[in-house]
Amino acid sequence: MSQEMEFKNIVAQYSKVAAEEMTEEMRFREDLGFSSLDFMSFLGELEDTFDIELEEDKAMKIVTLGEALKLLEDLQ
Amino acid sequence: MLIRTILEESAQKFGDVKAVKWLSRKEVLARSYLEMMEHVVSVRKGLLAEGFAGKHIALIGSSSVEWIESYLGIITGNTVAVPLDAALPCEDLIDLINRSDAEALFLSPKHRPYLESFLAGCPKLQKIWMLQEEAVKDAPEKVHAITEVQNAGKNASEDAAYPEETDLATIIFTSGTTGKSKGVMLTQNNLASNVEAVKISAEPGTVMLSVLPIHHAFCLVMDWLKGFSQGATLCVNDSLLHMVRNMGIFKPDIMLMVPMMIESIYKRLAGTDPGIPKAVLAEKLFGGNLHTVFTGGAHLDPYYIDRFAEYGIEVLEGYGMSECSPVISNNTPENHKKGSIGKPLENVEIRFENSEILVRGTSVMKGYYQMPDETEKTLKGGWLHTGDKGYMDEDGYLFINGRVKNLIILSNGENVSPEEIENKLALNPLVGEVIVTGEDNGLTARIYPEQAVVEAEMLDAEAIEKRLRAFLDEYNKKQPTYRQITHLVVRKNPFIRNATKKIRRQDVLIDEPLA
Repeated sequence: MSQEMEFKNIVAQYSKVAAEEMTEEMRFREDLGFSSLDFMSFLGELEDTFDIELEEDKAMKIVTLGEALKLLEDLQ
Repeated sequence: MLIRTILEESAQKFGDVKAVKWLSRKEVLARSYLEMMEHVVSVRKGLLAEGFAGKHIALIGSSSVEWIESYLGIITGNTVAVPLDAALPCEDLIDLINRSDAEALFLSPKHRPYLESFLAGCPKLQKIWMLQEEAVKDAPEKVHAITEVQNAGKNASEDAAYPEETDLATIIFTSGTTGKSKGVMLTQNNLASNVEAVKISAEPGTVMLSVLPIHHAFCLVMDWLKGFSQGATLCVNDSLLHMVRNMGIFKPDIMLMVPMMIESIYKRLAGTDPGIPKAVLAEKLFGGNLHTVFTGGAHLDPYYIDRFAEYGIEVLEGYGMSECSPVISNNTPENHKKGSIGKPLENVEIRFENSEILVRGTSVMKGYYQMPDETEKTLKGGWLHTGDKGYMDEDGYLFINGRVKNLIILSNGENVSPEEIENKLALNPLVGEVIVTGEDNGLTARIYPEQAVVEAEMLDAEAIEKRLRAFLDEYNKKQPTYRQITHLVVRKNPFIRNATKKIRRQDVLIDEPLA
């Protein structure tokens, strides 16, 4: 599975939007239906799955799926 | 009853049991009850030695062993603790430090960038102690590490006298319906009687992982103070990002959660491969020992109680508010009914006025700090008007079925005053009228654009939406997550107003483009 698909599958756990229908412009809170805690839990899951360490304050400012994907790529 | 007496009894009974555990660079550190009490006493004596007897002391920071020891040092002496929400913007914190008349402050190292603003904006502040053991480099004159006050205490012979039960112990800020947060004044007896009245027992050494914001009464009183009264080991969750990871590290037996946490964890459970046995998943996600979750702060859909039971976890819902120190009623392992918020505590009397729940008892606050009018409106003849509508069934269980006051209760337990946010959003010239509502676990701003600006700048619908969204994104960056706007609705028509020209909140959905 590609990293992007693995990433989207994690997103899909918290969202009613299927992984295949996700676009980079989608907003976590508004379009994907994340609660604030879903988003934090999701960031923690990203850390564990991809073995990265996020800067919490910076990560919390992420709004769209594309921004999160970019951050993940930058950290690897 | 005093919190000091409860803690002293615990230190005597549970001496070497671990009171607090926390992570430091991935290593688990711990302090026993006796060790923790030494730190508490040194803060208490230090505050006395430094001349702060009778003064108000604020605390800003997320959960940490230093935070809780400082808090306990304050409230076991003759000083008043004012825990503030560390996620608030700097200007809001300055306002609350000033309004609470705090003369000293315990501050987390993370908030160091706010130091200069606090010193400039809070003239009453005489000292700031950073919640760190290392010396504070290049610190302004009034700023020291926490060790300064602790050392002053260690070197002092005199200890603070026991407070009176009726003395003020803490001021906890809560959202007000008028748009200005209110300082709930809780006495020594308010806190201690709530700890005593919640009939939950745990074996010494029972592990509790504290994941709620520590400045909230629910976390402060029910995780920490109640936990300490039972000899529990309280574990600090260093970040909500790592809640699941930390459950694996600390392996808690009991946790307090708000409904939003339960909902979020359930999404993760439901999203896993259905072929994995539930016991394996429970071990992986909850650490393997979790058997009870107490929830409060907002109503939990009973659906989750059954789902968590499948993983061997009993979810028990309670009800409370800061004004009641905070628990009013709770379900217990012995007495519970799904969908209810449990039976009232033994120190609480309940009655109903036009369906509104009124509460009287030893846990009910003294009043709102420096807000006599608000106090008078909420406390009438000793009866606290909760703002919640409800009823009691024939078995004595309490149920909630509506709100009287105009507060938004999110499922993370945060109470949000829509007016407070509306006042801030209205400062943008393009915002003509705005109403904030709560839905889908977030806040929606419904905005009618200022027509003069729209016409002058010849903005079309797309441009209006783009400008407003950019403005909200900027606003969100400076706010704690619970005060962020997650949805925007741009109205084509003004809101409907009543005879006194006030917007009719109950009718905001009428005439809405997306409705």
